[in-house]
Amino acid sequence: MKTRNLFVVLSMLIGTSAIGQLKTIEFEEYDLKNGLHVILHEDHSTPIVAVTVMYHVGSKNENPERTGMAHFFEHLLFEGSENIGRGEFSRYVENAGGVLNANTSNDRTFYYEVLPSNQLELGMWLESERMLHAKVANEGIETQREVVKEEKRQRVDNQPYGSLLSETMSRAYTEHPYQWPVIGSMEHLNAAQEADFIDFYKTFYVPNNAVLSIAGDINIEETKKLIKKYFSGIPRGTQEIPRPDIIEPAKTAEVRDTILGKDQLPMIVQAYNIPAQGTEEYYAVDMLNQVLSGGESSRLNRAVVDEKELALFAGAFSFGLEDPGVTLAFSLANMGVAPEEVEAAMNEEVERLKTELISDEELQKLKNQIESNFVTANASMAGIAESLANYHMYFGEANLINTEINRYLAVTKEEIMDAAKKYYTENNRVVLYFMYDESLESSN
Amino acid sequence: MKSFKYTLLIAISALFVACAAPVDRSIVPMPASAPSIQLGDYSSFTLDNGLKVIVVQNNKLPRVSYQLTVDRDPIFEGDKAGYVSMAGDLLKKGTATKSKAEIDQAVDFIGADLSTYSSGAYGAALTKHTDALLELMADVVLNPAFPQEELDKLKKQTISGLASATTDANSISDNISNAMCYGLDHPYGEPQTEKSTEAITRDDLLAYYNTFFRPNISYLTIVGDITPEAAKAQAEKYFGAWKQAEVPSMSYEKPAIPDGNKVCFAPLSGAVQSVINVTFPVDLKPGENDAIAASVMNSVLGGGVFGGRLMQNLREDKAFTYGARSSMSPDPVCGSFSAYASVRNEVTDSSIVEFLYEIDRLASEPIEDSTLQFIKNNMTGSFARSLESPQTIARFALNIERYGLPKDYYASYLTKLEAVTKEDVLRVARKFLRPENAYITVVGNKDEVAEKLERFSYDGKVKFLDIYGRDYVDLAPAPEGMTGKDVVLNYVKAIGGVDALAKVKSTSMSGEMDMGQVINITQKTKDNSMMSLEMSMGGMVVMKQVFDGKAGVVSQMGQQMPMGEDEIAQMKKQSDLLYEAKLDDYGTTAELKGIGTFDDKAAYVVEMTEQDGSLSTVYFSVETGLKVYETSTESTPQGDMTIATTYKEYMDVKGVKFPNVISQTVGPQSFVITYKDIQVNPKLKNSDFSVN
Repeated sequence: MKTRNLFVVLSMLIGTSAIGQLKTIEFEEYDLKNGLHVILHEDHSTPIVAVTVMYHVGSKNENPERTGMAHFFEHLLFEGSENIGRGEFSRYVENAGGVLNANTSNDRTFYYEVLPSNQLELGMWLESERMLHAKVANEGIETQREVVKEEKRQRVDNQPYGSLLSETMSRAYTEHPYQWPVIGSMEHLNAAQEADFIDFYKTFYVPNNAVLSIAGDINIEETKKLIKKYFSGIPRGTQEIPRPDIIEPAKTAEVRDTILGKDQLPMIVQAYNIPAQGTEEYYAVDMLNQVLSGGESSRLNRAVVDEKELALFAGAFSFGLEDPGVTLAFSLANMGVAPEEVEAAMNEEVERLKTELISDEELQKLKNQIESNFVTANASMAGIAESLANYHMYFGEANLINTEINRYLAVTKEEIMDAAKKYYTENNRVVLYFMYDESLESSN
Repeated sequence: MKSFKYTLLIAISALFVACAAPVDRSIVPMPASAPSIQLGDYSSFTLDNGLKVIVVQNNKLPRVSYQLTVDRDPIFEGDKAGYVSMAGDLLKKGTATKSKAEIDQAVDFIGADLSTYSSGAYGAALTKHTDALLELMADVVLNPAFPQEELDKLKKQTISGLASATTDANSISDNISNAMCYGLDHPYGEPQTEKSTEAITRDDLLAYYNTFFRPNISYLTIVGDITPEAAKAQAEKYFGAWKQAEVPSMSYEKPAIPDGNKVCFAPLSGAVQSVINVTFPVDLKPGENDAIAASVMNSVLGGGVFGGRLMQNLREDKAFTYGARSSMSPDPVCGSFSAYASVRNEVTDSSIVEFLYEIDRLASEPIEDSTLQFIKNNMTGSFARSLESPQTIARFALNIERYGLPKDYYASYLTKLEAVTKEDVLRVARKFLRPENAYITVVGNKDEVAEKLERFSYDGKVKFLDIYGRDYVDLAPAPEGMTGKDVVLNYVKAIGGVDALAKVKSTSMSGEMDMGQVINITQKTKDNSMMSLEMSMGGMVVMKQVFDGKAGVVSQMGQQMPMGEDEIAQMKKQSDLLYEAKLDDYGTTAELKGIGTFDDKAAYVVEMTEQDGSLSTVYFSVETGLKVYETSTESTPQGDMTIATTYKEYMDVKGVKFPNVISQTVGPQSFVITYKDIQVNPKLKNSDFSVN
């Protein structure tokens, strides 16, 4: 009897220790002489491999007269290289049974292939070709210019509330390059000349500005040999890599605007400027957002959607960026509800966080949710490769993939309240109402 | 010593770098030997109540997921469209013992996911929280309370959501494509509207739940960090008490194929792109013999690979779009094919040309060997990649059980894929693709785009649809000062005028209706106060209505039923040829809503409200003044039904015009009456209208 009791107690102990169950993600990392940072993670559970390269260039590195260049460049770098003909890049990957894609953010550009593991070398060849001598013919530039315009029409112009982020960011920042959208300006893209492209490539697409992160069914030693073969001969960049050092001045007054468009229901957006990702206060802000919108029982959802029935949806998330970012709270009003009423209800919840500490139970809920999110986050090889590259690029510490959770779990109730008091203030925010444009009624 | 060794090592490695032969980058690396692809195993068993349980153990992450699938037939919801999905949503919004807030709090507290939907529920949690999760999941599945206030809230939110979807080009495209492909009277094609949402009651949800949420037609799929033994114990503990019952099955007619290509256009004001979908129904069931060859065929065209023909043509070659793809979706009831893209307004027509070209090319020419190999390689890789998620094995197992596939269907998938030939691809393309019988649905800017698309329709016309796929009513403002009553009086004038009508003492009209068998119809009126209607088939009277001015009777199949008050009021209006001239006397009001189109011709749209509040919308031709179309909603034993009546081919009989052809749709049925003989002032006796 006694031993059995002991066993029960023990298993409960193990069960409640958060990190006890998290599987550590093992990896190796090193630099090539040309500055390329390499991260390798070995996992044989499925015969696939993710070959990824992250370049430390995003829209914030752009010339203000050439916005959209980083993203446009991402498109162009699928066009081919000295040894890869136009359109063959994707053909090689798909013919090998793989998938490929890329995406661009304000801070970085990320390329990946997920391949059957016996095609690892193909992935290395493709990515090294892209890094060493990508080739962009005029035909490709013209085609991709149009494709990017269609992308903008599809993902921004023809999307409900598609301008939400760009309208918000253009007001949240007056100095910092986060003020323009990643997709950029179509006029700027039209104006871009061949010299702009060559310069951009030589400046940013260099090994010393990149992380090669590979995860999956690999043999580490074999993989290192291949990396040497394909990447060590790529010369280090010679130009200085421009990194904006613009510090966005603190806001001194609320910015408030109404945007008219074709969407029927009012959308209310509040954006508060917050510290850069990775700072102590950032974690407190992120936890604060979790209080506001993590799950159906979260405060915004309970108050604004369930109890007051003012909105169809209410949420909040931190737009964590390398330089100080923003956090967004937003609600999609129910039909016939005035946006002012919704905003008042949102404010009420934020104010409550400034005056009352959250309960121990609520804090425990946040921690349980965060633990669950961390376990679920690393479910795919491509996801692991990207996270490792992110953590290295932004924080210089890939091992945060295993330990960042501790930074969240260390946040106290008081710190959450302090974050609310310090950042969720009237003067520090942009408030936008997206409203239906009545004049559209007769225009069709 | 130590430092010496270190230096040597550096020297050697430096030597290696120096000696390494330069890479010949023009050589494409060859693959290493192919890895073997292992399908994970699953176990399955059935509980006493008939619930089938599938377990896939995978201990990679300390997490378990539970998916409950209620495998019922699709349901046609009619004028309450949306109630089935609402029942699903409401499951987790209150149980016999817990409120929504309590359930939400409990789920969030353990960092779990729990969602419910019309055909089941899904829950996932860290291994240590699975019992807490299952308590909640079983509670919402077995003891839902469907609280009225939560239903009211959900209706409000749904109606708001429908309003916001009115400007979402993609959701409109889904609506109209489904409506065209399957028809508005099919479970896959019927739209949920504000009106249908408002009509939903708690009883509808209860009836759905009680009938269909039964273990004997359901599967519980458990995936993750759990042994089959532990999974079985959990399934029995939490779902063992679920009661089984017989569940009805339903079947549906195969949707019709259009006579030729037909452009269906939903206008969206201010649109900068057109969302194009070339679609048609396909008779393809999951796992059937041609399914893999059809999937290869679709991949060549645009399923998944960037190297697909549509993507290469419309994006990489022409830069019309950010992406063009296609899908071939097998379904046990009715599958469908779609080829779709969002393109800028001015290339909408050119894009359709390319879509049709590519579909036609696939159905007329064999693909190249290299293309076939390319697609097979890609599908093999895609299959291998899908195995990264343990949910894939669970999905395979569920499909095998649900669709009765051979046990080795997925284990032998790659072998079957390898066996597909280019002749097979051509054969299935010819079998399934219909480049000449497709619906071409477009959501976009009417002014800039629509007219240029007429040439793609076999009849040279674009069919305009509203956001739900119903006929589009584009109302223009009516002339200043014109009222509904003016329009109605104008109609009276058009059919002959009050004086001519006043001279009509009696009428007799006989016609027929072809319903497979011919049904003869005879209608008579006398003194603007009496009427009779008789329907016969093969000389046998099957239905007769008589109204003598005060009372009426309906005889059907030998049964006689006196008319009620409402019917009598209707009869009075129907027997009076001067009804439209005397709207005020009958307490009917007419409101002019504007100018719309019917059958591509301008028509005044008038909303008529009768004294009892019943509404109908009547279309009067702007050109002729004649009544051309009418819709109303009537309560029937099958629920509210929309009745749409079309009036055509007016002919003059003694100075009064009568429509020669009347067609009517009631719910999913439709019939056409063609009059053979119309008489004015025939000799009729009062006794012809005797109710005794």
